[in-house]
Amino acid sequence: MAGQLAGFTVSLCLLGFTVAVFEDQVGKFDWRQQFVGEVQFALFDTHSQASKKLLVATEKNIFASLNSRTGELFWRHVDKMGPEGHIDMLLMHGQDAVVVVGNGRLLRSWETTVGGLNWETVLDTGSFQSAAFIGLQDLVKYVAVLKKSAISLHYLSNGHQKWVENLPESDTVQYQTVYSGGNGQVFVLGVVPNSHIVIVEYNIEDGEIMKQNSVAAPWMSSLKSSCVVVGIGVLLCVDPTTESIYTLPLQSEEQTKMTPILLQTLGLEMASGFQPVLMSTQPHPARPPLSEFFLQLGPDHHILLQLKDGHISALRDFNPSYLVSFATTGEKTVAAVMSPKNETACSINLFSADTGRRLLDTTIIYYMDPNGGKPTKLYVHAFLKKDDSVGYRVLVQTEDLVLNFLQQPGRVVWTREEALADVVTMEMVDLPLTGTQAELEGEFGKKAAIQDGLLPMVLKRLSSQLILLQAWLSHLWKLFYDARKPRSHVKNEVTIETLSRDEFNLQKMMVMVTASGKLFGIDSKSGAVLWKKYLENVQPNSVFKLMVQRTTAHFPHPPQCTLLIKDKDTGLGSLYVFNPIFGKKSHISVPALPRPVLQSLLLPLMDQDYAKVLLLIDDQYKVTAFPSTKNVLQQLQEMASSIFFYLVDASQGRLSGFRLRKDLSTELIWEVVIPTEVQKIVGVKGKRANEHVHSQGRVMGDRSVLYKYLNPNLLAVVTESTDSHQERSFVGIFLIDGVTGRIVHEAVQRKARGPVHFVHSENWVVYVYWNTKSRRNEFSVLELFEGMELYNSTVFSSLDRPHPPQVLQQSYIFPSHISTLEATLTEKGITSRHLLVGLPSGAIMSLPKMFLDPRRPEVGSDQSREENLIPYSPEMMIRTEWFINYNQTVSRVRGIYTAPSGLESTCLVVAYGLDIYQTRVYPSKQFDVLKDDYDYVLISSVLLGLFFATMISKRLAEVKLLNRAWR
Amino acid sequence: MSSPGGQGGALSTRGAGGPKRMKWALELSLGNTRSRGDRQSKEGDVMYPVGYSDKPVPDTSVQETDRNLVEKRCWDIALGPLKQIPMNLFIMYMSGNTISIFPIMMVCMMAWRPIQALMSMSATFKLLESSSQQWLQGLVYLIGNLLGSALAVYKCQSMGLLPTHSSDWLAFIEPPQRLEIMGGGMVL
Repeated sequence: MAGQLAGFTVSLCLLGFTVAVFEDQVGKFDWRQQFVGEVQFALFDTHSQASKKLLVATEKNIFASLNSRTGELFWRHVDKMGPEGHIDMLLMHGQDAVVVVGNGRLLRSWETTVGGLNWETVLDTGSFQSAAFIGLQDLVKYVAVLKKSAISLHYLSNGHQKWVENLPESDTVQYQTVYSGGNGQVFVLGVVPNSHIVIVEYNIEDGEIMKQNSVAAPWMSSLKSSCVVVGIGVLLCVDPTTESIYTLPLQSEEQTKMTPILLQTLGLEMASGFQPVLMSTQPHPARPPLSEFFLQLGPDHHILLQLKDGHISALRDFNPSYLVSFATTGEKTVAAVMSPKNETACSINLFSADTGRRLLDTTIIYYMDPNGGKPTKLYVHAFLKKDDSVGYRVLVQTEDLVLNFLQQPGRVVWTREEALADVVTMEMVDLPLTGTQAELEGEFGKKAAIQDGLLPMVLKRLSSQLILLQAWLSHLWKLFYDARKPRSHVKNEVTIETLSRDEFNLQKMMVMVTASGKLFGIDSKSGAVLWKKYLENVQPNSVFKLMVQRTTAHFPHPPQCTLLIKDKDTGLGSLYVFNPIFGKKSHISVPALPRPVLQSLLLPLMDQDYAKVLLLIDDQYKVTAFPSTKNVLQQLQEMASSIFFYLVDASQGRLSGFRLRKDLSTELIWEVVIPTEVQKIVGVKGKRANEHVHSQGRVMGDRSVLYKYLNPNLLAVVTESTDSHQERSFVGIFLIDGVTGRIVHEAVQRKARGPVHFVHSENWVVYVYWNTKSRRNEFSVLELFEGMELYNSTVFSSLDRPHPPQVLQQSYIFPSHISTLEATLTEKGITSRHLLVGLPSGAIMSLPKMFLDPRRPEVGSDQSREENLIPYSPEMMIRTEWFINYNQTVSRVRGIYTAPSGLESTCLVVAYGLDIYQTRVYPSKQFDVLKDDYDYVLISSVLLGLFFATMISKRLAEVKLLNRAWR
Repeated sequence: MSSPGGQGGALSTRGAGGPKRMKWALELSLGNTRSRGDRQSKEGDVMYPVGYSDKPVPDTSVQETDRNLVEKRCWDIALGPLKQIPMNLFIMYMSGNTISIFPIMMVCMMAWRPIQALMSMSATFKLLESSSQQWLQGLVYLIGNLLGSALAVYKCQSMGLLPTHSSDWLAFIEPPQRLEIMGGGMVL
């Protein structure tokens, strides 16, 4: 037995599934891009003049530091998904950044230079309202956190709690703001909606309530949106109904009622239906805020106001103005205002905050991307120049989540596409052929051969060969020219114009659809964004389905992609048709979709322009064809009886199959109902349309064949029990024929729970679930075989399958949770398959399918060894050399996309989530190309050496023969 | 630097030796002048009379024992392939059924020799022409070779080199054409 085991290990070593890269191959075929998502808070490190740090906290629960010169990440902390890791507040003082996380669950302090954690404190329960630095005599020593019913004060140095106090009458009063002017008191402001404001004053030292006061404000519903503290403790509130600003001094003795100041007296008018917004600035937490503030009166109208001795005066009116922001450097505070310049550009100007005077030479022109969205957020980094004037840089975030960092006079220092942090779906499209390649294709196409005679063909051939020679020479010349330049300048600029397919079709265009409705075209070789398009009217919770209707193979017809966008609320769908290579919208007329769309179906039929036909099924089960030319409709009529589609309604637990009628209506032909009170459908997967299976069977040890059950219409449906008790929960898997609705196989995994990840390919289904009894993750594989004989080897029809397949199943223990699962895909399907497993750690593992084979015997025999079956062992290991992304972890990997390349051995892989990682995998190693480290020099020198040796020896032999002849 | 000088020396000695060799010579004496090599050895030979041969004339009369010998010789030829069979069997047994270079070479040799022999059947028949049992011997020879090749085929079979199993034709099975088009999914 021991000998057998040893033999087995040796054979495993010999098989060698190493997929790891060598050190010098790092970054050669792969790239990674890291993102942070939509920015919620952004702060510039103003601690020192030369600092390059920009701190951001985002919607994706990420706290990161960006290099403001290059836009690269210094460091990034990825917190938990969901509300648990949500960043409520980001404050920065000196080198420390204080973050409140998870609705006031944790208070953390980060060291901003290296991103290390200074301290972390768990806060008392209660929903978070506000947080602020509390300073005393020009020193910031504390941070105050306001919860729904309590306020606590923490030391900034170590996070220890100084005091915590319950708020009075917290069940009726909504406390929302905390304020300190740096003179020993902490004010907590609360409101009873439509009744009065409550002001509580605490002593910093011991948390004792110094004063408690309530002021009537029957018009007020919320403090946060309409009130700010300005100047030396004056509360300003704006009321849109009476169009007036109320003032209330917090520190004075007679806090009895708020004094209204009508906006009309200031000569201001409010845009109707707009909730006005006040914005003030407090440059230093230990000092009172400035007495200047912005009032936003309309979506494009801001005004800079000043409060002086209880009177408000307008300093400057900015109409129109999109965005405003305050920034402070040294003792100077400036206001930056972005106002429209013309259709495509905005100008940003600096104004002195205390006078409203425009500062000279401070204009930045911001050009809006025609394929992008409007700017939504403006962050200003002001600094003092050598001559004591104020310089500044701005960070602009737009609707389509682009971060632009600009400096004077309008140079874009860097751009980040943060929409890519949320990729929903993607496709890879072949690049077009080059001009010369296309010419060759056209020349020797079928049409040309019929038209031309022999002689013109020869001439054509010669001319095209000449063109090829010319292209090659110019390529050589370019190589030579580049070689003389220094390394750094050579860096190949990839542009759309220079894009062309490479020899092995390894470089492709990645078309990515993001949740924000922005489309990207990315070069798979370099990761450069070649085109982008923001779809403006996409609702935030839309569903996307991307289909390639025409590939690049049909020159001169351009490739065509279609994106189906369905609005979840209205159910209505729309189509966006574009060229995936250039990102341009196609001018093809798109069918109107008046009814909600349920599903779409891409048929292998083509119209006369080689575009595949797309069928859209609406909620009355009527079908719309796109394109719907006469030719297509005729083809559809002919084919109608063999076109089927299925719909899965998870909410009702119903699977239904339909057949197309000649008049493009449908008839229901089968229905399977899975009772929703017992189990719910969590996923359904068919086979990928571009999957090829080379081998129709498996060779047994006795050299007979076990034929695979390769049903192209098979669906794998996964259900989970609604009962989540660990003894009664289960995971079910149904294999259903999508044409006839026949349940081919049904398996139930008892004491198992989701989330279930599964892959359905060839004749197997692999799924992963959580075993509640043994508390571990398990892989299970189902494999279907037809038996020792094929029923019908020429055609496959689901309607004529009398024999059920043989089903084999085996399960394995996997030592980690997984995030996503996908299988490799190659051109012809000859290469063995691997499973790509995305782990929560960020690693992507390439797991040979060979380990997930239900025919693995418990005890190895000669026959099984002949078949190369590994004896069954329940535990499956994670080997670090199987990680295809070595240390380039992909955070929160959500999906893996695989595409075949022109080489049979190579499969292109893109993993997306928060980051995007692209690489190649070789499941059966690179059997069709020379290795990367192939010694060309040695081989060619040996060849040359041998050649010369033969030449010389031949000559010598001749001389010798001649001499002998003379003897 | 010394080698050119040395070469020069060698050349000069060769040049000195040159005059010793004659470029051409005319031999006026009678004799076999056709071969230059023979010339020196046969220089002193005397002339033989007409019809003289210095080789003994073989006895061409056919005797009964000789006929038996021919028969025997022919049978040897005819039985040759059959005699090799036990030897081949032994080699087959020794080489085993694993597929590696030596067994493959053995099998190739075993297969090639009978085929070669069968191809040159006519030449063998010419050899057997003098025998009275020519046809029988030819038949035996043929059977022997056929047996030899059968043995080679058997060896191939036991080594698994013959495409006799369905698995050998698996790669040529085309994927079946699908008759129905199906698609769909979860309700979006």
